[in-house]
Amino acid sequence: MSERRIDSDLLDHLTVPARHDELGVGSRAWVRVDTSLRIYWHTLFDICPGLLRLDGEDGQPSDGMSIFRPFMAFAAERGLSFDWTYYLWVDVWLQGSGFRDRVDDDLRLTLIGAAAARWAVTDRSPAVGLVIGTRSADRGPLPLVAGWKPADLEGGREIETLELEDPLPDPATPFGWFTTTTWSLDHFPGWRDLPL
Amino acid sequence: MRIGFNFTLGATAPMVRRLIAAGRIDYVELLVDNFLAVPPAQIAAAFDAPVGLHIMFSKFMERPEAELDELAMRLTAIIRETRPIYVSDHIARFTHRGRHLLHLAEIDYPGAFERVADRVARWQDRLGCTIAFENYPSIMDGGRDAPDFFRRLTARTGCTVLFDVSNAVCATHNCGLPFEAWTEVIRSARQFHVAGYDHSVGQPPIVLDTHDRALAADTRAALALCRALVTDPEATITYERDDDLDEDRIIADIDTLRAVMGREPAHV
Repeated sequence: MSERRIDSDLLDHLTVPARHDELGVGSRAWVRVDTSLRIYWHTLFDICPGLLRLDGEDGQPSDGMSIFRPFMAFAAERGLSFDWTYYLWVDVWLQGSGFRDRVDDDLRLTLIGAAAARWAVTDRSPAVGLVIGTRSADRGPLPLVAGWKPADLEGGREIETLELEDPLPDPATPFGWFTTTTWSLDHFPGWRDLPL
Repeated sequence: MRIGFNFTLGATAPMVRRLIAAGRIDYVELLVDNFLAVPPAQIAAAFDAPVGLHIMFSKFMERPEAELDELAMRLTAIIRETRPIYVSDHIARFTHRGRHLLHLAEIDYPGAFERVADRVARWQDRLGCTIAFENYPSIMDGGRDAPDFFRRLTARTGCTVLFDVSNAVCATHNCGLPFEAWTEVIRSARQFHVAGYDHSVGQPPIVLDTHDRALAADTRAALALCRALVTDPEATITYERDDDLDEDRIIADIDTLRAVMGREPAHV
């Protein structure tokens, strides 16, 4: 008779891939967690397919596992959440990895834009907009990226890059962010650090 | 029964309006927390049909009290303006050890009952209305505890069940929970969901609530059982589709749904 398992028994395995095989390859629990991990994979690589070319041979896309597995281990060690900051933490991990020199500004902006977009469709606070800034000392200056929640039913979230006449100060950490409860950016409240 | 279609974000609005104009649907279910930044009056005026309000990410069991108060304030403004035919929400785990889950997890029904009942009662108080809570597309064995949990929860809190027919079919495949185990819940429910499902890539296959294809044969059979148990003509069933948004295929499925569950289309 097989062991009775409930979903709550699998919660650690859902976020710590190294524990996946403890469930027994080919068990229903293993497949349940495999299905969940595929969602994390798709959430990253479907939105940022350029990541798949970082380690592909001759410019061909790879399966992304040389990024996905070590990043998920990094995330598990630090207890990172998989909220809108997921993409920004991938960039943080990339900057400390062997892929660093292959990550260009366009790919970094794709990751930052993905984070802003995810915030715009998942955040339930009164804020309507989010601005993300990068520390220019790390990889040179990048434009600010803003994400806006849907302002009407017909549209969707909006993402834009901002080049200010008077640049904001650098955030103290690789990424800084702030939110606004109005549809215009008329003041700078200061950078917030990237949350875990 | 009244037949509805889910509306989650902008691009499908024209199709939804065509479904309304053709008499194929009687109401629109709005995934309301996607529209919290939209003025309530605009939400109320968006469609020439009644609306149901479906809440996806209130996370009412996990969100801090002050945030829930603030969220409730904005939701109640929308409820006042739209006068929905129902308000519904989800009972699931959205986080674990503070980490956000991208694939929601099922709760431990017996172990969590008291806490969930308390949170459900307070969430209904905050929104000032009865809330219909949706059953989960169970994968693991704990899903077998779900029917009894929902019976106890409705008795304790006065909430109702949004009975997702295809989620129950998923549970039948995955953990062997007989569809008939839901009979008492179905008799008391007034709101229903249904959608297509798919099988996992991994083996042995599990059944996943994907909202991306036509209704399966066993889902249609389960619908017929529900139809026999539900006599209220004001009861609602929402056809959910989030992918493969081909209008002709959606119309074919909605017409199938209406043939099983509802009145004939008004003027197709």
